[in-house]
Amino acid sequence: MNMNDLLSLISHHGYLFLAVVCFAEAIGLPLPAALALLTAGAVAAYGDLHFYLVFGVALLAMIGGDVILYFMGRVSGWALLGILCRLSANPETCILRSAEYFYRRGKQTLLFAKFIPGINTMSPPLAGSMKMRLGNFLQFDALGAAFYVGAYSAAGYLFSDALRAITHGLRSAGSAAEVVFAIGLAAYVVYRIWVYRKYRLLDVTPRIQAAELAKRLASDAAHNMLIADVRSHGYYDADSERIAGSIRIEPNNLVEEVKNLPKDREIYLYCT
Amino acid sequence: MARQLQELGFKVFVIAGGLRAWRKAGHAVERVPHDDVFKLPTFS
Repeated sequence: MNMNDLLSLISHHGYLFLAVVCFAEAIGLPLPAALALLTAGAVAAYGDLHFYLVFGVALLAMIGGDVILYFMGRVSGWALLGILCRLSANPETCILRSAEYFYRRGKQTLLFAKFIPGINTMSPPLAGSMKMRLGNFLQFDALGAAFYVGAYSAAGYLFSDALRAITHGLRSAGSAAEVVFAIGLAAYVVYRIWVYRKYRLLDVTPRIQAAELAKRLASDAAHNMLIADVRSHGYYDADSERIAGSIRIEPNNLVEEVKNLPKDREIYLYCT
Repeated sequence: MARQLQELGFKVFVIAGGLRAWRKAGHAVERVPHDDVFKLPTFS
């Protein structure tokens, strides 16, 4: 989708199209909300849309998507983060990096998260999984969404002439720009498929049922076994329990943790 | 995480269903040692 398509779509379907794109991006779908906001701002400058309505519609759509992910994170914990990170280059790193980011900066993350690819979609479910209060979440998320929507739509509004010049430039370049765009898109799709297949093919870690593990622990093989709790921080707070006799491996500090792990023992990992 | 440990040469298994399945099956659990508890930000 190029700028001309966006201009045409937003001119014809206006607020509805903008709301759909902003909502879709908020729930993690790969749609260019920033580009749509920029374009809507420019269209508002031409007088076809009202700027304040563009701002309001986009803001509500984004908050709506964020609230859905917040509640899903609250219910599913890190399972949802796993799904959202599934298409990233390294799913484990994606989850841990996002969580670490949130831990370090706390709720202020929500103020600027939308500007950071990768963190933007992860913030609402992370806030939900960490049981952030809804009122508190709405306050910070709405401010963050307002910054994001305001920045892009205002930029489109203020630089509408420059955007118009760019679209005219693309038109005069004929199909060349579209060919380049199509090649880029195809390369991206191939890359994503390669990443997905690579991690799917490597996903061969053997699983063991609780009953079978208990049997092994009661046998002579027990001295050769190590049970490790690798739960995320979100589930590792005061009053929590763990499997009797297990040890803790901190997922965010794996490089240091592995130095103390014995390679001659079987390691049984568990989370929630 | 399991995959990362495998790549480093460890023999790794994943407990199906995690702690929930273990507890549901009635096997022994214990309180997390105080030193291991990570204090979470409460965001409130």
